[in-house]
Amino acid sequence: MGRRVNVIGVGMTKFAKPGASPDYHEMASEAAKLALADSGVDYGDIEQAYAGYVFGDSTCGQRAVYEVGLTGIPVFNVNNNCSTGSTALYLARQAIEGGMAECVLVLGFEKMEKGALSLKYTDRANPLDQHVGTMNRAQGVNSAPFAAQMFGGAGREYRWRYNTKRETFAKVSEKARAHAANNPFALFNNRLSVEEIMASEEVFDPLTRYQCCPPTCGAAAAVLCSDEYAKRKGISNAVYIAAQSMTTDYKSSFEDSMIKMVGFDMAASAAKKVYEKAGVGPEDVNVVELHDCFTANEILTYEALGLCKEGEAEKFIWEGANTYGGKVVTNPSGGLLSKGHPLGATGLAQCTELVWQLRGTADKRQVQGAKVALQHNLGLGGACVVTMYRRD
Amino acid sequence: MSELRFDGRVAIVTGAGNGLGRSHALLLASRGCKVVVNDLGGGHTGGGKSSEAADRVVAEIKAAGGDAVANYDSVEDGASIVKSATDAFGRLDIVINNAGILRDVSFQKMSEQDWELIYRVHVLGAFRVSHAAWNLMREQGYGRIIMTASAAGIYGNFGQANYSMAKLGVVGFASTLAIEGAKKNVRVNTVAPIAGSRMTETVLPKNLLDALKPEYVSPLVAYLCHESCEETGGLFEVGGGVMNKLRWERTAGKNFPVGKPLSIEQVQASFKQIGDFSKSTHPTTIQDSLESVLDNVNKPSKGGNEFIDVDAALGYEFPPRHSEYSQRDVSLYALGVGAGRDPMDTKDLPLVYEGASEGFRPLPTMTAAIAVGEIMKAAMEGMQAPGMNYGLDRILHGEQYTKVLRPLPPSAKLEHRAKVKDIWDKGKGAVVVTELKTYDQKGTLLAVNEVSTFVRGAGGWGGERGPNTDVAIPERAPDAVIEEKTDPGQALLYRLSGDINPLHADPEFAQNFGFKQPILHGLCTFGFATRHVVKAMANNDPRLLSSVRVRFADPVIPGETLVTEIWKNADGTAVFRVKAKERDKVVLTNAVAEFHKEVPKDEQPAPAATQAAPSAAAPSGPMRPTEAIFAGINDYLAENPDVAKKVGKSFLFKLTGPDSVWTMDLKSEGKCSAGAKGAADCTLELTDDDWVAMASGKADPMQLYTTKKLKISGDIMASQKLNFLKKIDPSKVAKYLGGSASAPAATPAATSAPTTGGSSWPSGLAADVFIGIDDYISKHPELVGKVGKKFLFALTGPDASFVIDLKTAPGGASVGVASDADCTLTMSTDDWLAMASGKADPMQLFTTQKLKISGDLMASQKLNFLKKIDQAAAMEAIARVRGGGASAAPAASAGPSPSSKVLDALVARLTQNPALGAELGAPVLVKVTDGEKLSFVVDDKGAHKGEGSAKTTVSLSEEALVELAKGSDVKSLFQHGQIRVDGDVGPAHKLGIFKGLLA
Repeated sequence: MGRRVNVIGVGMTKFAKPGASPDYHEMASEAAKLALADSGVDYGDIEQAYAGYVFGDSTCGQRAVYEVGLTGIPVFNVNNNCSTGSTALYLARQAIEGGMAECVLVLGFEKMEKGALSLKYTDRANPLDQHVGTMNRAQGVNSAPFAAQMFGGAGREYRWRYNTKRETFAKVSEKARAHAANNPFALFNNRLSVEEIMASEEVFDPLTRYQCCPPTCGAAAAVLCSDEYAKRKGISNAVYIAAQSMTTDYKSSFEDSMIKMVGFDMAASAAKKVYEKAGVGPEDVNVVELHDCFTANEILTYEALGLCKEGEAEKFIWEGANTYGGKVVTNPSGGLLSKGHPLGATGLAQCTELVWQLRGTADKRQVQGAKVALQHNLGLGGACVVTMYRRD
Repeated sequence: MSELRFDGRVAIVTGAGNGLGRSHALLLASRGCKVVVNDLGGGHTGGGKSSEAADRVVAEIKAAGGDAVANYDSVEDGASIVKSATDAFGRLDIVINNAGILRDVSFQKMSEQDWELIYRVHVLGAFRVSHAAWNLMREQGYGRIIMTASAAGIYGNFGQANYSMAKLGVVGFASTLAIEGAKKNVRVNTVAPIAGSRMTETVLPKNLLDALKPEYVSPLVAYLCHESCEETGGLFEVGGGVMNKLRWERTAGKNFPVGKPLSIEQVQASFKQIGDFSKSTHPTTIQDSLESVLDNVNKPSKGGNEFIDVDAALGYEFPPRHSEYSQRDVSLYALGVGAGRDPMDTKDLPLVYEGASEGFRPLPTMTAAIAVGEIMKAAMEGMQAPGMNYGLDRILHGEQYTKVLRPLPPSAKLEHRAKVKDIWDKGKGAVVVTELKTYDQKGTLLAVNEVSTFVRGAGGWGGERGPNTDVAIPERAPDAVIEEKTDPGQALLYRLSGDINPLHADPEFAQNFGFKQPILHGLCTFGFATRHVVKAMANNDPRLLSSVRVRFADPVIPGETLVTEIWKNADGTAVFRVKAKERDKVVLTNAVAEFHKEVPKDEQPAPAATQAAPSAAAPSGPMRPTEAIFAGINDYLAENPDVAKKVGKSFLFKLTGPDSVWTMDLKSEGKCSAGAKGAADCTLELTDDDWVAMASGKADPMQLYTTKKLKISGDIMASQKLNFLKKIDPSKVAKYLGGSASAPAATPAATSAPTTGGSSWPSGLAADVFIGIDDYISKHPELVGKVGKKFLFALTGPDASFVIDLKTAPGGASVGVASDADCTLTMSTDDWLAMASGKADPMQLFTTQKLKISGDLMASQKLNFLKKIDQAAAMEAIARVRGGGASAAPAASAGPSPSSKVLDALVARLTQNPALGAELGAPVLVKVTDGEKLSFVVDDKGAHKGEGSAKTTVSLSEEALVELAKGSDVKSLFQHGQIRVDGDVGPAHKLGIFKGLLA
């Protein structure tokens, strides 16, 4: 059993649409400086930095960190598709838990282009070729954005299996927009009705445009430290990582189910390990930031994380169990759908939101009495990181 | 031309009580626009206030049956004016910022109040009104704003400094509003009118004023405000019946290197170029404006000064030069550097005598003489590297380096390729190193010479000094000393080998340069010394010399005695030094020579069929595939000269079984040739078969590489640039292969297509589809510009080929082949019919490899327009071409549609077995989305046409319905998106009751 790992500082930039943000190193350093200021730690104390991003040439991490200071520390560049941010967090947590470091900086950032995700390198094997192959067998391939085809296809399978109404998917986006209305860091602050969401252009049945997360630019950061360090610096009441688990694809991803292909089993397995390690079950979780890249995935993830039983997500949603006043508040930040999804930053933006929630400083978004928080960050290709945070 | 109407639109026209504003208001109102007639009622210089003017115009509008309200606020109170519009009419679509005043006075007499007042009315007023309207327009996603500028603002006008400032101010204001409003359909334009108005009646003569009626201005303003007009950010001059648009024009200008100091004098010297509009551009965005700056900034300078511009000169490659030498030239050179002085010395004979028993052995230093001769010839022909701005008077041959790769043949035809290899800043002077590579006829590199020229007074820009070429002389007595007296006529003999500078022949000329008599050529001394070293180190066999480097320290006077001191190093190299004995002066120093361990073998003979590189000339007979491919590549490169430029690398192909070596030089020559030519950037080794497969697109280079069938050495990244090979049309290669050889893939069967036009269509459905496409293209000529590509369709079973040409106007579809197609699509005729009728998705055909696309893959995406072709129109076209529809038209065959057949069968089935309908659990509405768009409800009472209420709606194409009826899996159809379910999905699970309705 390793040492306890505390999250003593967090910070993020206001997420912006492509073309409207500063350059990556400016966003990343802004977030890093906010997290350092939040922690009260001097940059000179940082022993290592983990920098997550997906789009950019090698060593963007250094370029970003150098804006904060030039102390010669190890900087690790992390790339793991949409779960990049939490993968960086995972590595940083390991370093401290394993006693290899006392105080580290984690940052995630992304400067994205307009439009749907696509391959940058076409002269080599597509890392998602097995996923695409599975999809091709299940439902063929068309010209919609590939991520929408994958998660939309999982949505189709879910609808077929549990007789789910199309509106249920839109309802998730309505909630995300309502939550984001209270989040000054979110890309979208306007609410949308189910009707408006349903009426937006269809991307891939059952997904309409307002059910797909937008390409986003932004950065977020966290400072992690050991108990010993916290004690030495007089830091108390820190939020800590109660358990964390990361999974990659299982054989089941490449069989015949779109739901499994987009990572259901990865999420379910990672969540199970986290609950076991923390000794706390889904029923005790107060607030969740989960990977709602598409509304379909939020629905699947409720069930993968055990927030509701399999097949009962529709009921869970229409009863309002997923929002304020309900059983658990999911994505109080507005989630990827409304806050935005800068790939490398997302894992750390989720962390930032949950730390604020546990500290009780989430302002209008505060989930009253939040004690146990859960984070779910998923990347196709694939990787899933589930993290549980608690506070003293 | 239908009337442009403004019904339902609401406009504000400021300053509409008189003149232009009144004219704008009346025109808009006459076309149905509701108008807020704003006018403060003041004088044209800004004094006073009255409601009379605005009221009068409102009355005029109402009298003509229009709708308007008056507003008397100052434009500085823009929010109130906007409020008038929304109060009276509930919305606002158009703002025409027209209000203006004049306070003309020459600048020396202008008061701050004159300036301020003009600013407030024209600029602040336009801001206030536009700003109050802005959010309304953005929110409703529609708005039109007009700014009113003036020629005075654009060009200036005496006495109007304040007015000019304000009028050009609104132009800039509008430019940015146009950008910010673009996404929300708010369009902003500026007019610079000239019209007789209260403001101009003091400036213009009466007869001119009469001709300049406001009515000649308002129509442009109104058009710019119309919803059909997409112009934004435009600036127009208008008046007296003339309308012009203005734009910015920018000179090509002058780029000064960044990283070097920039002086006022440089600006003065380039001022004409800065202002030269002969090569101008018209930037329209700030990005356009910045582009040239960014380009310049991204190329920081390497330095230089007025003598040498390193940026321009460094790396410059001279055009290749050609020369030849004979045995006589070889002997003459050797005699020139002192060989064969002793006719009894048989060791010198091979250097000067072609009949020598050892064979003829040309001195390798001859290549230096040839190289320098070529450089001089080039200079005399005016061929100088760019950026070298000094005369011959400044230069001295400082150092010479000669490397020989193989023994020189007794006679040869040579090609020389020279480039500026290095430029060093030595402080006071500069050193320019010119590298010259000499190849033989087969393209084999024979020698490399580096001529280092010292340029006096040309250094000092702070650049690199370059490597130190000092050679230490060992602190011991030389291991060999060779002494040889030069002949007083030595220079006159040596000059016959190429360096004809009069400095070495004409006493008067030499004296002008400060020498008492003509001096010996440095390279002659070099030749003497090297010969001495070869004698001492290599038993006088010049073939063993590998390289020699020397620095010239002092000229030699012909007739002086040269003393070459030689120190042998343990590694087989030699350090040497040359003195002029009579003056005891070192003339050659820092000299070192290297030797081959054995005489290098000559290059293997080039492959048989390669006397000359395959050229673009018509083939004289069938070639081997590899030869044909290189010939085809050469043709392609000749037609696409950009390709070589883009690639910019040279490749060496070493093919095995049968063995051959080929050079693809896309660096200087831009073509392929047999044999190895020069040092390639990248060498590829593979079997001849794999090469043929790779070049014809059958084998993937990456795969060959990963399976180690292809070995790449050198610049591996460069090999990626060979991608262009894929673009080469197979017919280019095929023509060299002759009739018997199998032409590569994309040569479709039906090659002998008639070319007589429309009447030549073959029969069959596939051709029908192309007739429909041809018809569509003829009605949509804009497709040619949009798509800009030519497609070849190679259909199989039955085989046929068709071309869709959207590259050359007027475009069209035809039967036949096109060797210049950008993109070739190969598929079965059945799949083509399915794709053209929208039943099969091209992407899906492609991913399942039923559709093969070669050439420009991206171009195939532009075929999307096929979906838009209206079936009815296509039918008409087919009927027209076929003469009354003799040919079977695709879908309109007689009898009930497939949908109807399915419904009929379902009705029958449910009548026989009513329980099946109840199995659905709830009524299901089935909507067929194409064909006759049949709708029917299935419930426990059976199936019946119509759209009754149902909690489950299933939408699907006729094709999917047929699939379902033939027994396809419901879930799979749903997952594939072929069945769409709205509402409750559950009952859709039971659509299996359709199974078997069609056989």
